[in-house]
Amino acid sequence: MAALTPFGIKLAVHIITTDFGNLVSKICECLLRRGTLSKALISRFTELPQDKVKKCLWVLIQHNCVQAFALEQEGGGKDTTVVVTQYMALFNNIIHRLRFPKFMSIVSKEQDTKVRSSDTHQESFTKLVRCRFVERCPAPEPLISLPNEGDTPAKKGGGRNKVFMKEVTLEERALAAAIPMDAERFSISYDQGVDSDEEKIESKISGLKVGEKRKQDSLDWDSELDTMGGKKEPACVEHVRAEYDNVAAVILKSMLEGAKHTVSSVSLSLDSIFEEVIKSKEGLTMEHLRYSLEQLDFCSETNDVYTINMKDIIKKAQLEEVECIVKKRYGIEAFRIFRSLTNGRPLDTDKISERTFVDKKNTPQTLYKLWKDNYILMEKVTTGGPRQADFFLWSVKKGNLWHQILDELYHAALNLCLRYAYEVDQEREIQNLSIENPSPEVKERRMRLRNVRILLDSSLMKLDDAVMIFHDFLL
Amino acid sequence: MSGRGGISGVKRPRPGSNGSKELTADEHNVYNLIKSKGDMGIWKGDIRKELNITNAKTIDNCVKSLLLKQMIKEVPNVQAKGKKRLMAMEFEPSKELTGGVWYHEGMLDEDLIDNLKRVCLQRLSKQKVATADGMRHEIKMTGVFQVDFTVEQMKDILDNLVLEKQISRVKSNGMGELASFPINAECYKLKSQRAKVGDFSMIPCGVCPRINHCAPDGVISPVTCVYYTKWLEF
Repeated sequence: MAALTPFGIKLAVHIITTDFGNLVSKICECLLRRGTLSKALISRFTELPQDKVKKCLWVLIQHNCVQAFALEQEGGGKDTTVVVTQYMALFNNIIHRLRFPKFMSIVSKEQDTKVRSSDTHQESFTKLVRCRFVERCPAPEPLISLPNEGDTPAKKGGGRNKVFMKEVTLEERALAAAIPMDAERFSISYDQGVDSDEEKIESKISGLKVGEKRKQDSLDWDSELDTMGGKKEPACVEHVRAEYDNVAAVILKSMLEGAKHTVSSVSLSLDSIFEEVIKSKEGLTMEHLRYSLEQLDFCSETNDVYTINMKDIIKKAQLEEVECIVKKRYGIEAFRIFRSLTNGRPLDTDKISERTFVDKKNTPQTLYKLWKDNYILMEKVTTGGPRQADFFLWSVKKGNLWHQILDELYHAALNLCLRYAYEVDQEREIQNLSIENPSPEVKERRMRLRNVRILLDSSLMKLDDAVMIFHDFLL
Repeated sequence: MSGRGGISGVKRPRPGSNGSKELTADEHNVYNLIKSKGDMGIWKGDIRKELNITNAKTIDNCVKSLLLKQMIKEVPNVQAKGKKRLMAMEFEPSKELTGGVWYHEGMLDEDLIDNLKRVCLQRLSKQKVATADGMRHEIKMTGVFQVDFTVEQMKDILDNLVLEKQISRVKSNGMGELASFPINAECYKLKSQRAKVGDFSMIPCGVCPRINHCAPDGVISPVTCVYYTKWLEF
């Protein structure tokens, strides 16, 4: 839940309020703020009757915004256990709801040539699964049993080969148990009893109980936003285009296409890359390709096999986004100062001034502005000796800053949504007027509203590119 | 030069002389201290501390007198604008005080830097790739600047352009456009595209100085935001 920030929660609550109303959003907010809870506790914290909580949870589970899991707990008596159903909010899935237009455009673009009207629904569906746009639903209520004593990692352990294992949270265990194995996740096994696709889709909705809303064997599917193919790919390609050149962007795109599915690193031989690249860039020679590959910082080579590291590209794209913010908010001098510190090495005020050509008088002021807004860290160092002197060392600590930027991105996304709702609400009266013979004033207002909606919608989608780049900032 | 301070033997003023070397004991001490600081000079406040003179006026008078006699001078300090340094006439201020070649009279010589950067970009747009030494040579050939720059100074300028993301630094691999440079030579290359505008900074919130004060129901909110209203004017 690294992506959960204060404004992230506010945005998620806003999305749920807009889609499902206040009551459902109250339950959702309770889960987001307090973490995983049982139905009884949700009822207590929200002061809502249990039957209402149950209905709201149905809605949330139905839309994959909440995951239920059965947790084995120690009972009152000796060696007895009780199983309590717990509910956890799926923050990422809630935020994904904003991305449906983007998802639809990616799917339609990629499937445009493949899915034709002559295809049956079943064929189209199979293609969507094969391309990993659709996945099998998670298990309705996986059982999380009590950890055995042997499972708990030893607290003490010495030696040089000590490996620090990241503690797995209860939520992570539940999610891992709920999501089917990769082979099953994207496999198709139709129920014999269900013939038409409509019926299959209906089966998704009908006869659901809390925790049992989906039976794994029935054909239930979710639009697979999590592995949304190249959700980060376009942003990475654009970053490479700006950082290097068009050829580098074509190479990256081709390599990613050649690798079929996005993983953290992609390895291809020079010949395979060449084959992919000439599909989109004719006239590129092998020598030019090799030269371009050599120039890419995120690409390493062993025996003519080139490996690109997606994490490196994402890290660079994140940094670029922050740099753009610094440049726009604080000016070009602050931009140079910030960039001089991003390699992680702390510098003192004088050194920064010398390196960045910022007047020594102005440097402390600019540094102070950046420090005040948490973009940089400051450390006071006092030198010893007969004449003591104070130095200020400045540095950029990415982890904290990235978290702050992600929160600001969610804040901005929430603002776009709120302004959108406000604008639509303001013009509600003209929307209800008859379409025939509108007055020039109404025409003008309609046109303005149309432009506003387009601008706000497209801005939200662009902003979401940045959110997705930062979402996995702990990569 | 060393003889200047040794005026203890002078008993009385010579007729007709301007009296510039006549120093009181205090003036003498102050002058010696200033001189001992060489090209770093000393701030007036520090003289008081070092000589343990409690009366600030005494120092003021001594300094005034030494300045009048043109035995010392005031030098601006780039580190602290309000703290001018006092330095014996025979010394030239050090790089720490002047700020080096990029400073002129205690101020950053922005005109010189901007002109140099512009010329470097012009040359790189023609050549595509260059080393710092190559660029130095190119600039010398143009004759635009009166001074000869060192390779280090050219590196300062080019590195600044790298910080601004106008050019990039690459290591030559002896291939393609880097074929004419030795392998591993540090080269500078013009970026083929203009820097990307961030997705966040394209909307009002991305550049808003008040984002920390903005809340859905706050005094500053997306509904009442003036930047938003301006942005949505069609």
